[in-house]
Formats: sequence, structure tokens, C-alpha cells
Amino acid sequence: MRDEAPVSPVFKAVAMLTLVLLLLPVVIVVLAGLNAGEYLTFPPKGLSLRWVTAFLGSATFMSAYIYSFVLALVSTLISTVLGTLASLYLSRSRSGAAAALRGFFMLPVVLPGVVLGLALYIFYVTTDIGLARTFAGLLIGHVLVTCPFVIATVTASMVGFDLSLEEAARSLGASPWTAFRKITLRLIAPGISAGAIFAFIVSFGQFETTLFLTVPNHEPLPMAMYISLRYKFEPTAAAAGIFAIALVALSTVVSSRLVSLRRVFRA
Amino acid sequence: MSVTGGRIALRRPAFSVAEAFGGFRLWWLVLPAFLFFLAFFLVPLVSLLAISFNKTVPGVVTLTTAFTLDNFERIFTRSIYYSSILRSIGIGIVVAAIALILGYPLAYLIAKTEHPGRNTLLMILVLSSMQLDMVIRMYGLMVLMGDTGLINSALIWAGLIHEPLPLMYNTFGVVVGLVQVTLPFMVLSLIGIIRAIHPSLEEAARSLGASRAEAFRKVVLPLSMPGILAGSLLVFALSISSYVVPALMGGWKVMVLPIHIYQQIAESGRWQFGAAVAAVLFVTSLIAVFVYHRAAVWTSGGRT
Repeated sequence: MRDEAPVSPVFKAVAMLTLVLLLLPVVIVVLAGLNAGEYLTFPPKGLSLRWVTAFLGSATFMSAYIYSFVLALVSTLISTVLGTLASLYLSRSRSGAAAALRGFFMLPVVLPGVVLGLALYIFYVTTDIGLARTFAGLLIGHVLVTCPFVIATVTASMVGFDLSLEEAARSLGASPWTAFRKITLRLIAPGISAGAIFAFIVSFGQFETTLFLTVPNHEPLPMAMYISLRYKFEPTAAAAGIFAIALVALSTVVSSRLVSLRRVFRA
Repeated sequence: MSVTGGRIALRRPAFSVAEAFGGFRLWWLVLPAFLFFLAFFLVPLVSLLAISFNKTVPGVVTLTTAFTLDNFERIFTRSIYYSSILRSIGIGIVVAAIALILGYPLAYLIAKTEHPGRNTLLMILVLSSMQLDMVIRMYGLMVLMGDTGLINSALIWAGLIHEPLPLMYNTFGVVVGLVQVTLPFMVLSLIGIIRAIHPSLEEAARSLGASRAEAFRKVVLPLSMPGILAGSLLVFALSISSYVVPALMGGWKVMVLPIHIYQQIAESGRWQFGAAVAAVLFVTSLIAVFVYHRAAVWTSGGRT
């Protein structure tokens, strides 16, 4: 049996070019972080771990990495709880309100990040509720942009969920809460985990929404890299990038084991 | 729907969770998220739009009821602003076109790859490149395309050029950067629709004597139009919204809407005017997203 459908050579060539364009910048960051010289030059000067070591001891980038990690962890926690509860409603309710709400919850993703950040910033300043340029204020922005990913992933994983399983447990004497916890929650757990992973990655790499909300002197990693990139190509920043790339690649592989990526991204 | 006998199961959706908490109603589950979005999304967004109709007073940001169209009049009459609207839109269109030309073949290849392992690998490559922090990817592109970057130093080293080519800190650099970040979205928008085109349609065209190129142009391409439209609009919306790509790849020389917003707020303290530019950007991308949504519904044959 034929394994692949025939694809014209021109298409194959362009597809390869596109893959190169997608992956080349990533490869270059890895090389820049592992190179031995002061800058990544052509021809390269050889490999070394000096920039990785520099990153691990860097006050700027290591603390930014940890800050981003904590921020992503907390916003993931909040948006996973909010998003999963909302998804239970969205996937079970047949009302028109549910359909409208589903669209409403996706809005923060389609809104330009700069506009969302600015709207929150102006809101914090005009209402004077003490959130402008604070961790809590930044966290709120990150929950808004990560929650849609949790909702999309969890509702996708609940498509085709057989409610009769829960009913079977009920008819065998389980209380509704027990039936929900032991049957439904277990079955949708992979979806929730994948949603949480997506939320984490989105928050960890978030730049646009962060722009107006950062706490002075406590920049998340993308912001710290952006600031350093305006002046020079610090290899230490590239070394920080290597750790971020590893985190994203690992998360994507894990989430692909948990849910059908096609279904979530409607591909 | 009647709640009698065997029909009960059909009505079940709202049931189990609801009963679990004793008199719990299903919509209570959505309440925390809804209130959060109401307070921190809808209200701030409406205030942003409202404040854009206030008179600009540098350094002052308080919402008043004295609404005026001054800010918008300024945006649409001063060439520095309306030309940046046109520049944003122009860049968005060019990026969408290039992303389509580069993205379609990859989407086609992934859609036609039946080997599960290879298919998953390709999907993971596309998805991780989509999810990776944009600043990191711009770092890579800047090391590649700068005046002393890899491309220029390799060309000079090989003796092909003497002066570095201006690849970055101009519109060309911004377009390359935006194509890099938006390509995965284009590919993902196309895979589904290409996969849905039954292979026998292409085979039928071939067996009736069409060349591969003809079969593609007359059968596959027209059938992928909804996906092409959806992907292009998505890429367009993402391109005009991006701040970080024009800031880094354009070096503040390519004035697009998000850069104006940042400058008005952070440098001039002209909050109301910045809000008005943000409103223009918001409405432009909303129109693109709305048409995208219609196209996506059309793509999935009415399923949302």
C-alpha cells in the first residue's frame, strides 16, 4: 500500500523552505547561546557552555526566567480553574447564551495584545484600584490571554463525551458528586492538563499584553530579552532562550500525547 | 422536549453536576469566569473606547463625559497618522500573501502525510514554532539579518558583496519577521480544509487527462478557498496587531499603529490620543476577525 499521497516536487521544495524559515531562527538562538565567541559570527568560532553558565548566574536573565515561570504558574492555575468550570457549562448547556459566551471568552485572543494591555493599564490608573504596574495587575492580563486556551482545549476534549457513563455510575449508587469526580473528571483530565500546558506556554512567552503592565525592575523573560535586544545581541539572552525553547518543545510534545492537537487547533 | 420515560437521557446535560452540589444550577459554573471577564476585559475595553472620545490633555488620564471627535479627526487628517494606518494595512496584506504562498505547500504536505509518526512530528514542529516566544524568534532573525549578521557577513566573506545589504531596520525586515511569526497560523488554518477535500476528486481530474498542475488549479485550489480566506484574514489581523516585530525588526523606523500607541502613551503621555489610535487598530482587526469567523464557519460547513 502507498504510504504517502503524491505531492508535487515544487510543493515539497516550498514546504521544506517554509519549515526552514520556521525553525532557522530557533536554531540560530541555540547556536548563539552555545557559541564560544562574543557574538555569533560567520564562520562560527566553536562551541562552549560559557554563556549558559553566564545565564545561570545572571542577575538580569535568571531572575527574569524565574519571574516568568512563577507568573506563568500562577496564571495557569487561575485560568485552569476558571476555564475548566466554564467549559463544563459551555459543553453541557444547549442554550443560546452558551454559544454567545463561547465567542465572548475567545475575544482576548483576537484583540491586539497591545490594546488589551493598554485598556487594562488605563482601567487600573483611572479607577485607582492599586493594580497599575503591580504583579496582581500583570497577572490579571495573563489570566485573560491564557483562559481562552484552557476553554478551547477542555471543550474540545469534551466533544463526544458520553454522559451515560456518568449516569451509569449514578444508577449504581454513586452520589452525583462522586460520579462526577470519579468518572467525568478522570475522563477529561488529559484535556485539562493539555489546556493548562497551553496556558503556561502562552503566559511564559507573552510580550504584547505585558508591555504596559510590567512592574518596574521585575521584567518577565520576553521583556528582559526585548530590552537587551534593543542595544546588542547578548549571548546570555540567547542562552536564556535555549531554556525557554526546551520548555516549549517539551510542553508541546507532552500535550500532543494528552489531546488531539488537530481537534484543539481545528486543523 | 418532554421529560418522560426514556427521553430523560436526552435532557441530561444540565443534570449531574447541577444535582451534585444540591440545587446547583449549571450556569453557576460559568459565573466566576464570566465575572472576571466582565470586570477585567469588557469594562476596561469600554473605558478605553470611551476615553478615546475625550479631549487629549497630556499627562492627564481621567474619563470625563465631555465627548469629542477631536482625536479621530486628528488621526484621519494628519498624514503621519493616516499614512501609518495605510502602512499597517499594506504590510498586513503583503504578509498574508507571502504567508499563503509559503504556508500552503506545507499545509498540503501535512494534510497528505498519512504516516502517523511523521504527521505528528510535522504538527509538533509547526506548533512549537507557533508557541515559542516571539522575542526569542526575533533574536534569531536579527542575528541572521543584521548588518553584521550571518547573511551579510557570509556574503562579504564569500566576496559577493562589499557593503552589507539593508535587510533589517526597514519595511523588508518587518515583513520577514511578521511572515515568520504568522506562518504557523496560516498552516494550521489550511490543514483542515485541504484534508477534507476528497482525494478521489483530484484523481478523477487526473484520470480525465488533467496535468497535476491543472488538477490542483481547477479542483484543489477552488475547494480550499474558505481556508485560504480564513488563514489570510487571521494572518492579516495578527500582522497589524504586532508591536514587538515592528519594534525590533523595524528599529522604530517603520511607523505602524502599535508603535504609535506605545509612543503616545509611554513617551508623550497623551493617553486619550493613544486610546484613539488603539481604538482604530481594534476596529480594523475586529473587522478582519469578524470576516475570518464567517469564513471559518463556512469552512466547517456551519459547525462552530
